[in-house]
Amino acid sequence: MWDLPAVNSFLPLIVVGLVSGSVYSLAALGLVLTYKTSGIFNFAHGIVAALGAFAFYELRDRHGMPWPIAFVLCVVVVGPMLGVILERLTRGLAGAPTATKIVATLGVLVGVQQLLIIRYGAATLAFPGFLPARRVRIASVNVEVGQLIVMAAVLGAAVGLSLFFRLSRLGRAMRGVVDDPSLLALTGTDPVVVRRWAWCIGAAFASASGVLLATSVGLDAAVLTLLVVQAFGAAAVGLFTSLPLTYAGGLAVGIGAALSTKYVGSISWLSGLPASLPFVVLFTVLIAAPKRRLVQVAPERARRVTATRQLGAGTKRAGLAVAGVVIVLIPAVVDTKLITYTQAFVYVIVFLSLALLERTSGQISLAHLGFAAVGASTFSRLTTAGTPWLVAVLVSALVAVPVGALVAIPAIRLSGLHLALATFGFGLLLERLVFQTSLMFGGGDSVPAPRPSIAQGDVAYYYVVVAFVAAAIALVVVVHRSRLGRFLRAMADAPVALATYGTSVIAVKVAVFCISAFLAGLAGALLGPVVGRAAPQSFGAFPSLLLVVVLALQGRAGEYRAAFGAAIALTIIPAYVTNDSLLEWFPVMFGVGAIAVALLEGRDESAQAGGRLATAAARRIGRSPIAARLAEAGAR
Amino acid sequence: MTADALHVRGLRIVFGGLVAVDGVDLDVPVGRLTGLIGPNGAGKTTTFNACTGLVRPTEGIVTLFGRDITLTSPPARARLGLGRTFQRMELYDRLTVEENVALGREANFAGRRALGLLWGTRAERAEITQARDEAIELCGLGGLRGQRCGVLSTGQRRLVELARALAGDFRILLLDEPSSGLDVRETEAFGRILRAAVEDRGAGILLVEHDMALVTSVCEYVYVLDFGRLIAEGALADVTSSPAVRTAYLGTEVA
Repeated sequence: MWDLPAVNSFLPLIVVGLVSGSVYSLAALGLVLTYKTSGIFNFAHGIVAALGAFAFYELRDRHGMPWPIAFVLCVVVVGPMLGVILERLTRGLAGAPTATKIVATLGVLVGVQQLLIIRYGAATLAFPGFLPARRVRIASVNVEVGQLIVMAAVLGAAVGLSLFFRLSRLGRAMRGVVDDPSLLALTGTDPVVVRRWAWCIGAAFASASGVLLATSVGLDAAVLTLLVVQAFGAAAVGLFTSLPLTYAGGLAVGIGAALSTKYVGSISWLSGLPASLPFVVLFTVLIAAPKRRLVQVAPERARRVTATRQLGAGTKRAGLAVAGVVIVLIPAVVDTKLITYTQAFVYVIVFLSLALLERTSGQISLAHLGFAAVGASTFSRLTTAGTPWLVAVLVSALVAVPVGALVAIPAIRLSGLHLALATFGFGLLLERLVFQTSLMFGGGDSVPAPRPSIAQGDVAYYYVVVAFVAAAIALVVVVHRSRLGRFLRAMADAPVALATYGTSVIAVKVAVFCISAFLAGLAGALLGPVVGRAAPQSFGAFPSLLLVVVLALQGRAGEYRAAFGAAIALTIIPAYVTNDSLLEWFPVMFGVGAIAVALLEGRDESAQAGGRLATAAARRIGRSPIAARLAEAGAR
Repeated sequence: MTADALHVRGLRIVFGGLVAVDGVDLDVPVGRLTGLIGPNGAGKTTTFNACTGLVRPTEGIVTLFGRDITLTSPPARARLGLGRTFQRMELYDRLTVEENVALGREANFAGRRALGLLWGTRAERAEITQARDEAIELCGLGGLRGQRCGVLSTGQRRLVELARALAGDFRILLLDEPSSGLDVRETEAFGRILRAAVEDRGAGILLVEHDMALVTSVCEYVYVLDFGRLIAEGALADVTSSPAVRTAYLGTEVA
């Protein structure tokens, strides 16, 4: 038999875990439902939750509405309204490549999160609980009535949703709509209506989970957004498709996190584990699940080719010359803003490295600053230990290479959405579990990062960074022109062909991740000395998402122009905005811009695929099956 | 079994509960154009995938030039001299015709020496250029060299895929419905290119094809698949007169 004190000590934790796990389940169920039905994995699911919580706050705390009415309004009106908006927004993305879909929902995440911060401030607002706190004693544990209600309600929602999905007409239509919307349309059901229902239900679930989460963590847009990201781990347990397993996954993640708070409490390097357990689960499932079980709902589609305008060689040379002169003259012109320019050039290297992965090779990395963080922390340790400056920079970049090879492991097994999720999980893990350890930043706010002894001044260090940018560009140019560069572009378009013609795609992926990590690690080492110290929060998972969004804003520009454009948008333009309230709007603009770029691209893709006709026909199909079939036939 | 051929013995492939290929034996010797025909869903492409390593057979073995390659990776098979094209064309859409064709040879060099993945030697580059220009010439793609593949028509894309396969250093080529989407004139040109590849270069070709005119004009030996089983094999005339084949595939059109 178990001895009683031990049981007594972990039963309450299980209750706590079941309650928080139920809330994760609720969020995850909504996420899986919309993903299954629309093929869009909503990275902004957490934002819906946060909006639900803030709506509840407005209604109850600011307008004095009784909580039951406020709660019902949030779940039945606010959530579904957001669902309708999201469905409308993502409808045009059906034929777009996975990367475009991801960028669109990331744009929503970044933009709306900032809107909430502008409206309500960045500080956490008090959010009193509303469910009955009276305790009842069940099997020697005191349980709040409110906790029981949450557990029972989520269980009811999970069972109800599963039954609905299996038994009802609309539920069955939801299962059909991803596989073949036009076939569904032929049976007289409008796929748009079916998808809209799924988004409404999913958003209602998210909204409810947001309100419930806020009662335990307070009202904070960033925290709520990330807490619902924990639902990604639960969804992974259900392999992003099974509703019952997703529910079970949420509970397991909740219980695991609660129990681990007790058992890792004394081990300092594991202190981040409870909060990051969902990401451990997410990453592990993606690495370990049998590949055939991990099927992406909407099939992967490579980017289509458009005729791009090529600049003439003369124009190009002239442009390069002008750019060179400008770069050399910048220190004489910009005065106090020089540090910003130095920083921008470091980001040029970061974006070059990201573009090499995303634009050239068709891979996705949502943890790119993780490589930079490795470079930055290694650099600090090496210089503190007295390593010569240049050696420290190069070794730091090299240390990031094995980390790149590590991230190549999921890239070998996965592509598209699953790769994005695995890298996202990896980035969060690195941030939560490793950043604070003595391996990296060691728990402080920042670590020292000196400039080289020959370039202590701002102007001198600017030129040092410019030299590294030139070297990085040279490296990328060499890669592009080499055999590897051809393989990278070939892999992005047709990996199967490359393999059956004799080149191991695995080797190509490992190579590009290593080179990309080297460049990002180099940038990480160079970034700290700009201001003299390197701070872990510059390298977190959220800034990594922002990088992807800002790079996407560059549209179809080539790798080099995109890298410069993104660095300018991220650092230089905001530095010239002196109005603080306007500055606050920058992330919102990035978000809106990313959504716009994604939608434009989605439109181009379907237009090129002859989809404009097909879409129009599909819309008509929804209304009148036979007429539309004819219209479609006529269009061909 | 001979050392100068691709042999498939007792191939059986099961997906879940579906038996896609059931006990298939094939011989594809070099220097011969062999046909593989059968209705949609007969298991032709699955057989190809097992030969090139994209699908692992449930049972059976595949040998190439006397070596058992049943469990060899796709790139390693290519380096042994086995090439293929795809029914759903797999071209590098952002690259030009020239680059696509050149990659047919270049991809073959990647694993041959240390750092072969990163850059080529002068000798390799010369060989690649020569193979590329010959293949482009043979397929009549000279006018399209600088075009990106993503903007070409289906017929042109089929030719680029064939040129890429011919540029590779392959002694056995598996062509998966290479003429679908081509018009009559293009198909005739296609037949000439295939015969030239076999007669002048001594390649062995296994051709999956629905266009019976093309099969009749080029194939010396034909296998017929239906529901994953071989229902006939032999010279074309013998096969087409077989009653089983008539009912399964050719129907009454031939009569």
